Amino acid sequence: MALQGILVLELAGLAPGPFCAMVLADFGARVVRVERPGSHYDVSRLGRGKRSLALDLKQPRGAAVLRRLCARSDVLLEPFRSGVMEKLQLGPEILQRDNPKLIYARLTGFGQSGSFSRLAGHDINYLALSGVLSKIGRNGENPYAPLNLLADFAGGGLMCVLGIMMALFERTRSGKGQVIDANMVEGTAYLSSFLWKTQKSSLWEAPRGQNILDGGAPFYTTYRTADGEFMAVGAIEPQFYELLIKGLGLKSDELPNQMSMDDWPEMKKKFAAVFAKKTKAEWCQIFDGTDACVTVLTLEEVVHHDHIKERGSFITNEEQSMSPRPAPLLSNTPAIPSFKRDPFVGEHTEEILDEFGFSREEIDQLKSDKIIESNKASSKFWILYPHSNIQK
Amino acid sequence: MALQGILVLELAGLAPGPFCAMVLADFGARVVRVERPGSHYDVSRLGRGKRSLALDLKQPRGAAVLRRLCARSDVLLEPFRSGVMEKLQLGPEILQRDNPKLIYARLTGFGQSGSFSRLAGHDINYLALSGVLSKIGRNGENPYAPLNLLADFAGGGLMCVLGIMMALFERTRSGKGQVIDANMVEGTAYLSSFLWKTQKSSLWEAPRGQNILDGGAPFYTTYRTADGEFMAVGAIEPQFYELLIKGLGELTLLKMQQEAVSCQARQTLLSVKRPSLQPKSWGTVWL
Repeated sequence: MALQGILVLELAGLAPGPFCAMVLADFGARVVRVERPGSHYDVSRLGRGKRSLALDLKQPRGAAVLRRLCARSDVLLEPFRSGVMEKLQLGPEILQRDNPKLIYARLTGFGQSGSFSRLAGHDINYLALSGVLSKIGRNGENPYAPLNLLADFAGGGLMCVLGIMMALFERTRSGKGQVIDANMVEGTAYLSSFLWKTQKSSLWEAPRGQNILDGGAPFYTTYRTADGEFMAVGAIEPQFYELLIKGLGLKSDELPNQMSMDDWPEMKKKFAAVFAKKTKAEWCQIFDGTDACVTVLTLEEVVHHDHIKERGSFITNEEQSMSPRPAPLLSNTPAIPSFKRDPFVGEHTEEILDEFGFSREEIDQLKSDKIIESNKASSKFWILYPHSNIQK
Repeated sequence: MALQGILVLELAGLAPGPFCAMVLADFGARVVRVERPGSHYDVSRLGRGKRSLALDLKQPRGAAVLRRLCARSDVLLEPFRSGVMEKLQLGPEILQRDNPKLIYARLTGFGQSGSFSRLAGHDINYLALSGVLSKIGRNGENPYAPLNLLADFAGGGLMCVLGIMMALFERTRSGKGQVIDANMVEGTAYLSSFLWKTQKSSLWEAPRGQNILDGGAPFYTTYRTADGEFMAVGAIEPQFYELLIKGLGELTLLKMQQEAVSCQARQTLLSVKRPSLQPKSWGTVWL
């Protein structure tokens, strides 16, 4: 696989960091997730392909363990606010002096500097500060954050993977690691560069929710069917718009011009009335194989769709859980995601330390001093969390 | 810069491809955007750092020009539906025989295979097919696509950059290029893996628009101010929620609202052991 032999240490956090590390694991890196002893389970649920080490970084001897691991690793991924690692004597200056090849990735909401860098936040806050949230939302409503996908995962986790890959590639030439300041505000803004680049164009001339791409256009939005399902219409080009009109059983000479924005609210009502008359299955029959209109599939439905099945776009692991196959597809060295269940917290503590050259005596001492924790099986897990997907 | 000396040929298209190539240019690659003669301007507006070559690929001699360029390039990025390049005698087999180091990146909506691979579409269609659109939207409303950010740019362009970087890195070991099938349906789904991974958890136990992260919670949404502006509230953790309530001067609302959203859903999101959750401790994890 592409990242064979690359060793990644992921300091446990929520969403962005775990996703970043999971992508690296999917593409072949050996990822160790470092968790706090006493954590019951990996709340991120993104532990695929990782091993788990439970280590108390707040104890100086715990921090020293991490320092030893970093000396032999390729990537450290930490999600803490600026200054936290430095306080633990684990800042980049120290760790890269030990190991100049170390890629030190710092993934936060607001970045390593600036007046907000000491604050906590969530996806919606970063999305708001980036400027992007102000563009998203229907006419007459408040701006709407699309779950935590844009800032946490796209501008955050995925952008950080990109930074790590840039640094890994650069390192093949320079032999040196780098410090990466990956943050969700900037990552989300950069991802959305198109908005600033087209800011003054007619694409955004109307107020929020009244443009082509933000829900204003009758030919670029979703409609409800007779059976309460939804169709997604994306028919911008004239020839696809014609197919849409035809499929709806309407006549274009009886309708206002496609791009007549003043008429869009009325057109939306008209289209909605037509869509509401037939079921999803009927609409799929009509629009199947055309370029205008697609059904809105749920998370469960998507895995049964022909196109998806033909491509094998979803994988099923040993627990019968389905999730998306890693993207994109590489012809020679594709990602091979693990089919095993996610690790228990601290499941691999001892084997990892052993691999990194810790002696049996050292490991036992660390365990008895509660610097590390080793959990071969998690009985607590079963009792406290009956909704877990592991329980059958 | 990280991509110093890397030569990229971008065949002109809209949004995803240009964004992908722009990122490569930003990080130091030399990017040539190959455009159709007669194009009035670069509609993508994402031409930063690129040079432009106007070339008619439909003419056999035009295709031959591109073939020569690919023989000396590192990355070819093409946005056409499966089969189009092959018809022009510019498919990966031919170009990688000329240049085995060539990374051939194919960025489409539906992918290089499967029943939809010959169809055209837009962000909203790919988002719909990926399953992700069904989760986005307010209670009682239709699903809502957040502009073209998720499929075109995140699951499409950015994911393709990732694939190219993976291939470039791998090439430093193998000496060989690869073919990359980057498509927006799968890229968007993969980006959103978290949704499938937490599908059965309390995070999504309510219908669309009534959960913590999709607009259901009063402490995770936007509010309008007196002067028609907006504030974004993201106060999930108890101590931040208290700060929110304090700031609003509405202490009496505290108890009511805490009960309004499933405690279990909130706990699923956070580290356990609430009492030890300190704002400044390293154990504080946040989205």
